Amino acid sequence: MTVQHTGAPRPVTVPKRPVRTRRPAEPQRPRAGRARWLSPARLTLAVVVVLVFVSPIYLTIVNAFKKENDIVSDPAAPPVHPTLGNLRTALDRPDHLLQLGLRNSLIVVVCSVLLLIPLGSAFSFWISRRRTRLRAAILAMLAAGLMIPPQVVLLPTIHILNFLGLAHSYPGLILSNLGGGYFSFAVFVYVGFMRAVPDEVVEAARLDGAGGLRVWWSIVMPLVRPATATVAIFLSLWIWNDFLNPQFILGPLQGQTITTGLYLSVGQFQMDYGQLFGIMFLAGIVPVAGYLAMQKQFIAGLTAGSTK
Amino acid sequence: MRPLTHWFRDTTQDLGLRVIAALGLVLYLVFIVLPVFMSLRSSFTDENPLKAGSNWIGLANYREMLHDTQLRDSVVYTLALAIGVTAVANVIGLLFAMLLDRTDLSYRVLRTIAFLPQVISGVIVGFVWKTILTQDGLLNSVLTRSHLVSHPVDWLGTPHLAQVSVGVVVAWVLSGFTTVVYLAALQNIPRELYDAGSIDGANARQQFRMITLRMVAPATTISVTISLITVLKLYDVIQVLTSGGPANATQSTAQYIVKTAFSSDRFGYASAIAMFLLALSAVIALSVTSLLRRREVDL
Repeated sequence: MTVQHTGAPRPVTVPKRPVRTRRPAEPQRPRAGRARWLSPARLTLAVVVVLVFVSPIYLTIVNAFKKENDIVSDPAAPPVHPTLGNLRTALDRPDHLLQLGLRNSLIVVVCSVLLLIPLGSAFSFWISRRRTRLRAAILAMLAAGLMIPPQVVLLPTIHILNFLGLAHSYPGLILSNLGGGYFSFAVFVYVGFMRAVPDEVVEAARLDGAGGLRVWWSIVMPLVRPATATVAIFLSLWIWNDFLNPQFILGPLQGQTITTGLYLSVGQFQMDYGQLFGIMFLAGIVPVAGYLAMQKQFIAGLTAGSTK
Repeated sequence: MRPLTHWFRDTTQDLGLRVIAALGLVLYLVFIVLPVFMSLRSSFTDENPLKAGSNWIGLANYREMLHDTQLRDSVVYTLALAIGVTAVANVIGLLFAMLLDRTDLSYRVLRTIAFLPQVISGVIVGFVWKTILTQDGLLNSVLTRSHLVSHPVDWLGTPHLAQVSVGVVVAWVLSGFTTVVYLAALQNIPRELYDAGSIDGANARQQFRMITLRMVAPATTISVTISLITVLKLYDVIQVLTSGGPANATQSTAQYIVKTAFSSDRFGYASAIAMFLLALSAVIALSVTSLLRRREVDL
């Protein structure tokens, strides 16, 4: 069997079979008799499979609102006697684990991403207008940054930050984020978009007397907004969830990000399920809420990146 | 005045823009490229944070690696984990994607939910699964209550079970990612291919083999490569779940590097292992990519 006529126009009529142009945006019609009873069955199967798949997340959510003995007697049951006690216990901890962790993580994420976006996009704009060979060589070097395990560069990074007098500090952690594989990711996303910006657009701005900085920031950046969205979303998520760098570059004395804070306090002390689920729920809600709010751009960014 | 054709040069030679662009590249050189060479240099020394200065000891660290059974076990486990998890996560991802490849609202909601494991940090994933899997954890309380097991199973405390448990958790995280990648690939397959297939009399299995599998081949390359690299770097999930235990059974090479550096204070030796992990990752990533790319062409 060969299926090579992908792009061939459809025949205008096919005997006994009305031609329908199917667009991906509209719900698919059931094809044959079989499909009519199949589709509720398929949906049921999909729902069951997905719910089983995310059951650990389900457990976290329902148990965050259940009393300790309700959790132990039936962890999978929905909260019949819902309580906010777990969340209150989690927030009232004397070490302010969640408040401080969320604040510190937010500082690191915001500073890193706000600096990575101009650095990455300016570099991409520059490289996208260079000769092909130079561009290929530099992009190959940057590709390595996506692959190098962070454990390989961890010790020297600490040495370099020591040398700069920035070891175990927030500026040090942020600086190392700027130079890490995150920069590679930003460049790879941006370069694709920058090359699609027509020369004429840049040329016109240039003729109007705009300098390079101005062309980049006021003309090109608005055109590559989807790239900026992708870069901002993914870098925020990765830096927020990072554990190794905050653990060793920031160190234990400078306060905790949300990940290292959880690791230290939850890992070291026995705590009841209620409080544990309360903490996990509150710690996880920030990235999940961000994801749900921006999931369209999220999925679009991921698929653009992976089908390129 | 320069001719107009040179304006590109002009744009990029604008000082302000060049400074910002150069700053990005310099930071990359300082925090990725330079550290790799510093690690390489350190791997030939007995560097130790507790004493000043270090001695050049040549290949002694590399020679020691040959007889290091902890390293050998960690490499074997990491490779087994990488292969097993990649295979499972990609099969699950493709199946999920095929199941969820519908455009109705209910399916879109399900897709959104299926990606959630990828959004949550490895530390939270580790703790939630640990709560489920420990000996007095939630899974055992369900299993014993429903009399499926007579006494609790120690999912994380028995070496072999712990190795599998870690694999299940990591595959769970990665499956969310692979699902989205395969979904994107499936949505790019023109419906006409399946129509033509059924006119030619291909059954569902033939359509899957001849159309679906071939059309998602580029996505497979991406998804498999990223899955492998992710497992090779893996640290946070294992650290929380088992800390590499019991008896180092679930210790990944990445974790062994961190332990050698920060618990045993042997920076030089840790650097040598790091160089090995770097070479291993490079060989695996490059060979798998070229292998799968060739497969894309063959299909």
